[in-house]
Amino acid sequence: MELLEPLQKAIEEISKLPSIGKKTAQRLAIFILKSEPEQVENLLSALKDLKTKVKFCEVCFNLSVENKCTICRSQKRDITKICVVEEPSDIFALERTNEYNGLYHVLGGVLSPLSGRGAESLRIRELTERISMGDVKEIILAMNPTTEGEATILYLAKYLRSSNIKISRIARGLPVGGNIEFADQATIGRALLGRSELE
Amino acid sequence: MVLETVELLNFRLHRNTKIKFSEKLNYIIGGNGQGKTTILEAIYYLCTSKSLNGSADSEAVNFSEDIFNISGVFRDVVKNEVRVFFSNDTARKEIYVDDKQIYRASALIGKFPFVKLTQSDSSITYGSPSERRRFVDSVISQSNFTYLGFLLEYNKILKQRSALLQRLLEERSSSLYRELDAWTENLVLAGTEIIKHRISFFKEFISYFTPAYGRIIENSELPSIRYDFLGETDPDKIFERFTSAIKESRTDELRRAANLVGPHRDDAVFFINDRDLRKFGSQGQHKSFQIALRFAEFFYLKDKIGKSPVFLMDDIFGDLDAYRAQRISGFMQEIGQGFITLTDFPNFSHLVHNHADLIINVDNGSVNYAA
Repeated sequence: MELLEPLQKAIEEISKLPSIGKKTAQRLAIFILKSEPEQVENLLSALKDLKTKVKFCEVCFNLSVENKCTICRSQKRDITKICVVEEPSDIFALERTNEYNGLYHVLGGVLSPLSGRGAESLRIRELTERISMGDVKEIILAMNPTTEGEATILYLAKYLRSSNIKISRIARGLPVGGNIEFADQATIGRALLGRSELE
Repeated sequence: MVLETVELLNFRLHRNTKIKFSEKLNYIIGGNGQGKTTILEAIYYLCTSKSLNGSADSEAVNFSEDIFNISGVFRDVVKNEVRVFFSNDTARKEIYVDDKQIYRASALIGKFPFVKLTQSDSSITYGSPSERRRFVDSVISQSNFTYLGFLLEYNKILKQRSALLQRLLEERSSSLYRELDAWTENLVLAGTEIIKHRISFFKEFISYFTPAYGRIIENSELPSIRYDFLGETDPDKIFERFTSAIKESRTDELRRAANLVGPHRDDAVFFINDRDLRKFGSQGQHKSFQIALRFAEFFYLKDKIGKSPVFLMDDIFGDLDAYRAQRISGFMQEIGQGFITLTDFPNFSHLVHNHADLIINVDNGSVNYAA
């Protein structure tokens, strides 16, 4: 049996979302179809607001409703530190720790010549402009521990070295609270190679 | 580790074959094209989830069928049932260990260790450096997961860096050069780890290899293996050596847009009595070298993993003289479990036997046991 056109269309659109397959899309579409009109209206306006109201912070490129994000506007933040991340979602993760009180900078990706992404496609110029304002004393590089993340760290470390500020990177190794016996061997191997001396 | 049983369903010629193996040597005997090697391949599938010679999974499905299924029971401290299933319809392969699905083939590596000695091993001593690297990488990867990680990462960096070098052919900007520096540093860091692992591997491996060679051929020949990175063998100086070498070849790399320096271009040189095997070795010396490499691999892995690998030997005795066939089969008796295919029975009389050995006759995809 052929599906009704509106249903078909909804399923197609929903299945374009990441990690949603055809079957899940169908279930979601049917769910929406059965929902109260008000509920559907809410969903629609939420989606619409998401797209129209949320923009990138003009300073750090975090997600923001205003021109500047809440972190950049805050008076309580340590403006001498900038933590460089790949995507805004990384900021959420770092913020949840309550361990860091500095500012952020979203690069918007990592170096990957294979997919045609070079340094010019990352927000590096914007980062150096922020550094040149003079308040920043430390840059923390918090890229994902991937091949491309590593190359990006090496690139930034070289590029920023001349600017006379401290450059650090987040540590790689075992997850806290985890057991060595349960960690995968690649992680344990790397943690061993990157061991640090006790002071 | 012992492979107790194997069951083949629609796997090449074998439509439904069940075998209960001996814990000692299993001689698989039959004419050409009867399905001997297929049994070894099935075991190889259980250890690696891959075909023996790199052929597609779909080619291993019996002509008139749509799926194949291989299952086997390994016994070590506990028993593990491994199952590899492939369906032509979905073109998908599923791997299960004790009914739990494994999603990455690399998760199997080192779990059910194996050593295989086949005719294509001749490329290790006769072939190009890449064949020797493949040998070294597979031995270290089976026993060291960190090495496998570095290797995968290094290969990724190579691809990224070569894409960047390509781009630099068309467009030369200071920003791109800086990117190249970053990828170069990344390459050197990962590459150095690979080279260090290889250096320490060969240092150890030779102590397994020399006695193995002596067991196969009894004379005063002294085999050796030389491995260095651009002349350097001190692990602490590799980083420095690599860095300076890649600096020197920068112009060349830019001109040819290729990765010209690194462990992906390494070679290990084999010697017998200080003479380069590849240049001066006789056919017999080559053969002995290849076989000794596999025996050394077996004992090396056994020590490193703490499990005895299964030993697969495909059609090796065909072109060996009676003397060497006898010595090698005598050596085989010491390894525990082995799987050996033979084309003709006459050769069999030269071999050293144990009462626990099993003879499996294979005829057009079905098996029976000889008394």
